Amino acid sequence: MVMKKFINDPKNLTPELLEGFALAYSDKVALKNEKLVCRARPKDPSKVALVTLGGAGHEPALSGFVGEGMLDISVVGDIFAAPAAPKVFDALKLTNRPAGTLLVVLNHAGDVMSSNIAMQMATKAGLNVKSILTHEDIAPGANAPAENRRGLVGCIPLYKIAGAAAEAGKSLDEVLALAERFNNNMATLAVALTTATHPASGQSIFALADDEMEIGMGQHGEAGTGRSKMKSADETAAIMVTQLLEAVKAKAGDKVLVIINGAGATTLMEQFIIMRGVGKVLAQKGIVLARARVGEFLTVQEMGGFQMFVAKMDDELLKYWDAPCDTPYMTVR
Amino acid sequence: MQTIGTNTVVKMIAAAAARIRANEKDLSALDSATGDGDHGTTICRVMDAAETAAKGDTSGKITELLNKVGWDVMSVDGGSTSPLLGSFFIGLSEGAGSSAELDAKATAAMFEAGVAGLRQQTKAQPGDKTMIDALVPAVEALRAAANGGADVTAALRQAADAATRGAQATKEMVAKFGRARNLGDRTRGHADPGATSISHIFTAFAEAVGS
Repeated sequence: MVMKKFINDPKNLTPELLEGFALAYSDKVALKNEKLVCRARPKDPSKVALVTLGGAGHEPALSGFVGEGMLDISVVGDIFAAPAAPKVFDALKLTNRPAGTLLVVLNHAGDVMSSNIAMQMATKAGLNVKSILTHEDIAPGANAPAENRRGLVGCIPLYKIAGAAAEAGKSLDEVLALAERFNNNMATLAVALTTATHPASGQSIFALADDEMEIGMGQHGEAGTGRSKMKSADETAAIMVTQLLEAVKAKAGDKVLVIINGAGATTLMEQFIIMRGVGKVLAQKGIVLARARVGEFLTVQEMGGFQMFVAKMDDELLKYWDAPCDTPYMTVR
Repeated sequence: MQTIGTNTVVKMIAAAAARIRANEKDLSALDSATGDGDHGTTICRVMDAAETAAKGDTSGKITELLNKVGWDVMSVDGGSTSPLLGSFFIGLSEGAGSSAELDAKATAAMFEAGVAGLRQQTKAQPGDKTMIDALVPAVEALRAAANGGADVTAALRQAADAATRGAQATKEMVAKFGRARNLGDRTRGHADPGATSISHIFTAFAEAVGS
């Protein structure tokens, strides 16, 4: 099948999309060194900075969440590919401050290698930096070793909570501890219906039969393990949310945050019907839907499907989730 | 005794980049089977950066040339490919030491240091269906040939053959690293794109030295 996308030279996808993004949101973000998306109004240097890294092609993630109350810098790689370690180090030098910087890393091989090398460079240069790895995918099993579990959409609420704590003037250790608590209480499962095209190579990134769906699909279209015949929204929602609630050990009376994250081609209509299905299961189990978001946060081009995210919340986590933020793709007033 | 100097090293890297470019589509297609389909694009950018750095060298010293190649490769936004191959070239630079000309044994020592550099970045072991499965047998064959008295061309030819066999053997393996890991048993039947790239690189190295 021929790729049908509005692009120019496939080699320039990332710089061109970032240029347009910065143009659209010039009140919130500014581009430095071509691939560092920074806050337009830098945070008070007495507060902890938050930096993340990752490939492009997942818009609005990750750079859509740079701004007051969330990220200070998003280091962008290329389509589905991690940025180079020296660029991550550049970002850590830009945010360098006595209060320190927290580097949020999603568990994908390239991101982990680049961040490890950048952290070594930062330590050698005497920068005050700590890092946290998100790995909330439960496709390989909720008890699989952390290194086998991918970082999916959960990084975004984590930016929100850690970012709010940083804005509140918490120390690097306090921000890290809070982020770790959230990290340890969150889980994501993805489901795919239709494939996406890699916008640089023009190749389809996986194949599913017309009547099939696959639970556990990664956010680069890496195949998952639970392929089945197509199911209804309610059945799909129930299968996924049940596994997620088990993974975070949620029981009656617990409060949860739920995010339905569209992969790119799945309509908001479908996402809301899935959300309704999640609500029914929560009600049956007596679990409180404390907060929810439905929409596209981290996409995979035109892939059909969604990621379902659940986190068990306490009052402090909810306080930071509700704190103000002002970024291109998440605003709380 | 046959030796290689900076001019040959530049020729080797340029030949490897050309061979990777010629196979870009096939490498991406291989990656589509088990990953996200961009290995060809990424390895091309990495090897283009290596070629530009090598050809731009003015130091005339193998170690400095390879160090520049390593850092320029490391600076490519290429997922795990750039830190892995960047560390490989920086390792080669360390292994080359101050020598202006390398015989077969010195070449083997240089490549052993390259493998050690790359392996600092990953816990992948032989059998895990990664570039390690082509690289490790290639460098072992290089060392064995050099110790057996082969010249550089013959030793690199042995290395290229071992890399090709190693890459082919990944077809029967189940991925334990990188994005392909999540596919489990379904990775069987497809050669690992990283290992295949390594086999192309060593094949080009051998041809460049031989010619």
